[in-house]
Amino acid sequence: MNHSSEHGGRCKLSFSVNGKRVEVYVFPMERLLDVLRHELELTGTKEGCGEGECGSCAVLMNGVLVNSCLIPALQAADLNVTTIEGLADGPRLNAVQKAFLECGGAQCGICTPGMILASQQLLDKNLSPSTDEIREALAGNLCRCTGYMQIVEAVAQAARVKE
Amino acid sequence: MSEETVVQKSVGKSVPRKEGHDKVTGAARYIDDMTLPGMIYGATVRSQIPRGVIKKISFDPSIDWNEFAIVTARDIPGKNCIALIGDDQPCLADGRVNHPEEPILLLAHENPNLLRKAISAVVIEYEPLPAIFTIEESEEKFQVIWGADNIFKTFLINKGDVNSVWAKADYIVEGEYRTGAQEQLYIENNGMIATFDREHGITVWGSLQCPYYVHKALMALCSLPEDKVRIVQMETGGAFGGKEDYPSMIAAHAALLAMKSQRPVKIIYDRMEDMTATTKRHPSRTRHRTAVSKDGKILGGEIEFTIDGGAYATLSSVVLSRGTIHAGGPYDWPNIRIRSKAVATNAPPHGAFRGFGAPQSLFAMERHMDRIAQVLGLSAVEVRRRNFLKPGQSTTTEQVVREEIDLEKLLERALQLSDYANKKARFARENEVGQTKRGVGIAAFLHGAGFTGSGERYLASVVGVEGCVDGTVRLLVSSTEFGQGTNTVLCQIAAEALEVPYENVHIAQPDTAQVPNSGPTVASRTAMVVGNLVRSAALGIRQTLIASGELSAPYSAEEFGDACRKYVAEHGQLRSFARYDPPPNVFWDDENYRGEAYAAYAWAVYVAEVAVDLSTYSVTVEDFVALQEVGKVLHPLLAKGQIVGGVAQGIGFALYEKVVWENGRMQNGQMTNYIMPTSADMPAIRVYFEEMGNVHGAYGAKGIGELPMDGPAPAIVNAIVDAMGVDFDFVPLMPEDIFEAASQTLAPAGER
Amino acid sequence: MRSDPADYRFVAPGNLESVMSLLAEQPGEWLAIAGGTDVMVQYAAGKLAGRKLVSIWNLPELQGVRVLAEEIRVGAGSTYTEIRKHEIVGREFPLLARAASWTGGIANQNRGTLGGNIVNASPAADSLPALLAYDAELILVSVRGERRVPYVGFHSGYKKMDMAPDELIRAICIPRVSSDYFQYTRKVGARKAQAISKVCVAALGKVRAGTNGKVIAEVRVALGSVAPIPLRLTELERAVQGKAIDAELLQLARRNTMAAIQPIDDIRSTAKYRSVVAGNLVAEFFEQLRMPTHPRGTRMCGAPGLVDVLARWNVVDAATAANEILPCCGSRAWAAAMAVRRPLAAEAEVLETSDEIWRSLTALDWMEAFRSHPRIGESDNREARELDAKSVKAAEWSEQEQRKVADADASTKLTLADGNREYERRFNRIFIVCAMGKSPEEILSILNRRLNNDEASELQEAWEQQRQITHLRLRKWLQSR
Repeated sequence: MNHSSEHGGRCKLSFSVNGKRVEVYVFPMERLLDVLRHELELTGTKEGCGEGECGSCAVLMNGVLVNSCLIPALQAADLNVTTIEGLADGPRLNAVQKAFLECGGAQCGICTPGMILASQQLLDKNLSPSTDEIREALAGNLCRCTGYMQIVEAVAQAARVKE
Repeated sequence: MSEETVVQKSVGKSVPRKEGHDKVTGAARYIDDMTLPGMIYGATVRSQIPRGVIKKISFDPSIDWNEFAIVTARDIPGKNCIALIGDDQPCLADGRVNHPEEPILLLAHENPNLLRKAISAVVIEYEPLPAIFTIEESEEKFQVIWGADNIFKTFLINKGDVNSVWAKADYIVEGEYRTGAQEQLYIENNGMIATFDREHGITVWGSLQCPYYVHKALMALCSLPEDKVRIVQMETGGAFGGKEDYPSMIAAHAALLAMKSQRPVKIIYDRMEDMTATTKRHPSRTRHRTAVSKDGKILGGEIEFTIDGGAYATLSSVVLSRGTIHAGGPYDWPNIRIRSKAVATNAPPHGAFRGFGAPQSLFAMERHMDRIAQVLGLSAVEVRRRNFLKPGQSTTTEQVVREEIDLEKLLERALQLSDYANKKARFARENEVGQTKRGVGIAAFLHGAGFTGSGERYLASVVGVEGCVDGTVRLLVSSTEFGQGTNTVLCQIAAEALEVPYENVHIAQPDTAQVPNSGPTVASRTAMVVGNLVRSAALGIRQTLIASGELSAPYSAEEFGDACRKYVAEHGQLRSFARYDPPPNVFWDDENYRGEAYAAYAWAVYVAEVAVDLSTYSVTVEDFVALQEVGKVLHPLLAKGQIVGGVAQGIGFALYEKVVWENGRMQNGQMTNYIMPTSADMPAIRVYFEEMGNVHGAYGAKGIGELPMDGPAPAIVNAIVDAMGVDFDFVPLMPEDIFEAASQTLAPAGER
Repeated sequence: MRSDPADYRFVAPGNLESVMSLLAEQPGEWLAIAGGTDVMVQYAAGKLAGRKLVSIWNLPELQGVRVLAEEIRVGAGSTYTEIRKHEIVGREFPLLARAASWTGGIANQNRGTLGGNIVNASPAADSLPALLAYDAELILVSVRGERRVPYVGFHSGYKKMDMAPDELIRAICIPRVSSDYFQYTRKVGARKAQAISKVCVAALGKVRAGTNGKVIAEVRVALGSVAPIPLRLTELERAVQGKAIDAELLQLARRNTMAAIQPIDDIRSTAKYRSVVAGNLVAEFFEQLRMPTHPRGTRMCGAPGLVDVLARWNVVDAATAANEILPCCGSRAWAAAMAVRRPLAAEAEVLETSDEIWRSLTALDWMEAFRSHPRIGESDNREARELDAKSVKAAEWSEQEQRKVADADASTKLTLADGNREYERRFNRIFIVCAMGKSPEEILSILNRRLNNDEASELQEAWEQQRQITHLRLRKWLQSR
């Protein structure tokens, strides 16, 4: 789909976020992270580093975990984006969210949305990951507060519950 | 019925984190999630040189500067300083700069994307002056960049008669130990939003630890009375001390821009700005000279402890204080002289980071104990056993150890848990062959919780507890949550005191217009000191209700709620305040630095097991035991989380986190190049608690937030020394450093 | 964010032809961006030179891994995740699969592409040494057509490429000749994940029989992060041809390596460190090439594999440890006892301890272990299937061990089946033999011989076979990631 803009101005971008179709007018090189946070006011996705290292900006794009600070808006066209806001079913938290609460997986909470999405994606692909597999899957999500142990326990617990 | 025999309902249980739900759903609101109508964005033009005179500031005409709000030092209504302890740190440089990234002027614009371009379009001409960057350069005084002699502060501790010990010593053991700067690396960068109008004055929302610190700073900066400055803490994404004093600076900048532009102004740092411009852990150098008897008893010694404070005094005197008091570790020093100083260099001022001087001096002490062991031919275990403080003995500040702490037993337990003896024996055998050398190392230490000496008295913290019209209970404290569990623990304590469900207690957002000053959220004081005040204030409203006749004990949760409602309906408000009351038998002599330095010490022994890969010189921590006595574990899950998180930062401090400096500026100010451990790097950390109680802490708790930062670095380096048979006396200890040492002492690899 | 999106043009024509036309019309003006894991970082830092970008993400012509008889063609737009998970890549090109697995974290692997890694041309790029070692070729494409070039020499200097301003990489071709080689790769970074490499080695090797033992038939050694471009150590490769792998050769390897590379001091590491470590890793490659016991084909060495597996296993809780090691033997008592004996330091101790425990167990325990195997020649064993998910690992290993038998002709398989049934009638349990490397004929002859054993001797033989199987599996487990 050709979204070229002749005068370097904004263009129309349609895609779907958490199951809802959206349409925004953005510069094609705006970061998906900024489109989510500013145009769509979905501030659950966070910016920690702007260089794809910390994983706080992680979202799912067509079910695939990506760092939204590294996605130019144009490349999200017509895709399905899932953010942290899309996980809970109203007041009902999903298994990963519940496990994070029960196991102490969230302390300051800033890495938590990205961490939960990365955990979710792992469990979508691997029903009962080993501790190593969990640690490997989350290695792209930096947490400064927890030292990771209670996060790994949370993911292991969520896996058990889902089984 | 005494406290001890009641089954505790909230305290001691892992109740749900108060703001946990919001954190796992993305609903928690951090400062960058907030916008205000008409809000514009601010940014800072910073010095590109470490020291010099500003000759000229010009604005490139390619930018339409009329669209920008521009603030310089001239625009500051009050005093151009960030008021903290001293007032030497300017809010904006005025004619002179003393460190790279020093703020010079501020810009604001509606379009945040234009700000970066605008910053580059401000051209500053300097006349550079020679700058200094190390402790040694500062001591040389070749350049005097601060005061008369580059020295922010000194302390002297003198116990016994050190001069007499040298003649009696069988051994005199010396050592020099160094620690580098460490970046707090909270995952949420610093940020603030400020508004200003004549009627309300300044309001600031932001990521911060200490609302009243910011409050005080802005009052002085803007010449405003206390009711015309309001500071509100937003959800804060990690702090670790890095948001203790720096927020006053960024809040000041946002406030000045708000005043100039008459619009709300948001300033959010990006990662590089945050890393290069804000505070870090003070680099340190410690020199030990110790007189030891042939049976391994410390007779006395001298410790020289020096920290690099960067260009302005800021918190250096307090960091120095804590480092100085902890420099002797958990050992009996019959005679000791500790000389310490904080010196100036042309780097951005260093500041608070979990541990606050203690990780630095305790690193030295614990490395030095292993050195003493080595010189004497004793084991690392034995030399500590023979020198541990015992109840009735006194610390280096002559504080008598009043609790029945048995450090030998604590050590013994840590050794058992870590299978120390077996590992030591096995590694000694196995290290003879193969590519991997393994070792185990110990660190024994203590950490004083709360403000030093007369600090708590000076703070005079106040806490409020309110019974609400809906029957719930609300806490009014300026203590902030930034992951460590303030909200949860304080609500637990109130719930326990009032015997109401934890769910019925909530905590007000820290807002200086709404809550009293319960002191800064630092120094591991929140659970212990503020918690105690929460308990008192909670009991206060209970007392009021009972006295009013609305309530009689025992009561159910419903009855309590009803009583609140009725009381508030009738009297308009139900509030009780508690003020810090210094314990009667705690004396501190500030002049001679002697006496009860802290109301309580927590004690710990950590054991690290490492494997050094001789083909790459990389170190892997394979096992880690963290055993600590903490008074009382108020919330098991949170307490464990604090220890594991602190150990992780300690492992980073030891092995990964190196600030690369050039001319006073951090060169690796990105997450790609400043390395903190990932989930794949961390071993499972085994955490164990002992609880001896604490008369000065809420429900017997001692502060634990900073304790875990003290042990990992020395335990790990001791383990590496054990593995390699080579001395290392500094952190961070990188594979390149191990390689350098190994290539000088071992045979070249090919001849192995 | 240090760039203003308003200053940039970004177009996504959606097909290769349109992209190529654009590049041809305005050569050098448009920067192609695929997954963005390099370009977007530079963009966010305000460091992009140009202001026009064209998206080549998801172009159908650049997707997919084509498996041909003599080579595979990896589309330049293949992500690291796709490469990692591709069966053939994993089996025949483990150096590339492994490199893909340690390029950044999962989120970046989902977006980063092999073409991007080549064109970004960082000296520390993770996949490039593997491409050098595999003698990869590149297909470059433009409006002027296609051309195919060897990858070696494509990078002529720091960030200098033999590629015209209007060209794109379309595919990376790798000849399918490497499965016969011993393959080794190792990356040294500042931490175990998400690290830019300080030194990286990708190597292949083959030995052959010489007059006095094994000598080197062929080696290919490639290094990253030790020069402005990734290097093939062709001098070293020539120098070691035909030589025995002895201490002298290891010295030669080290010396040659250190002479060939040009490492620098930079923000991550030092030239001296890189130099010596590069030498160490190359020597390690040769040492492992020499080992007789590595399984045919590949033995991977990532970040210290042995240390990792054992280190982790040593500190997890007992139940987890027992569970993890259970597939190596099948006896729960054995697994539990192994867990209790932790920590174990090295392979030797693991095997020794295993033997000791195996010796001390009861016949019931031994039976449990025997029962966990499928019958020789059959992968269908209902009892084995009823174990939990961990038995998937055991089943995988069984399959590997019995590979030769699986390839046997129908009549042999039939005879084996008969023999199995006969054995089971006699001894009331499955016939256990360490099948690794044994032909169906050999197994049949062993089976026939043992059918004549008395109960006690037969139990002893089965016990011994299981002991060997356990050793094999323990070794495999220790080498796994």
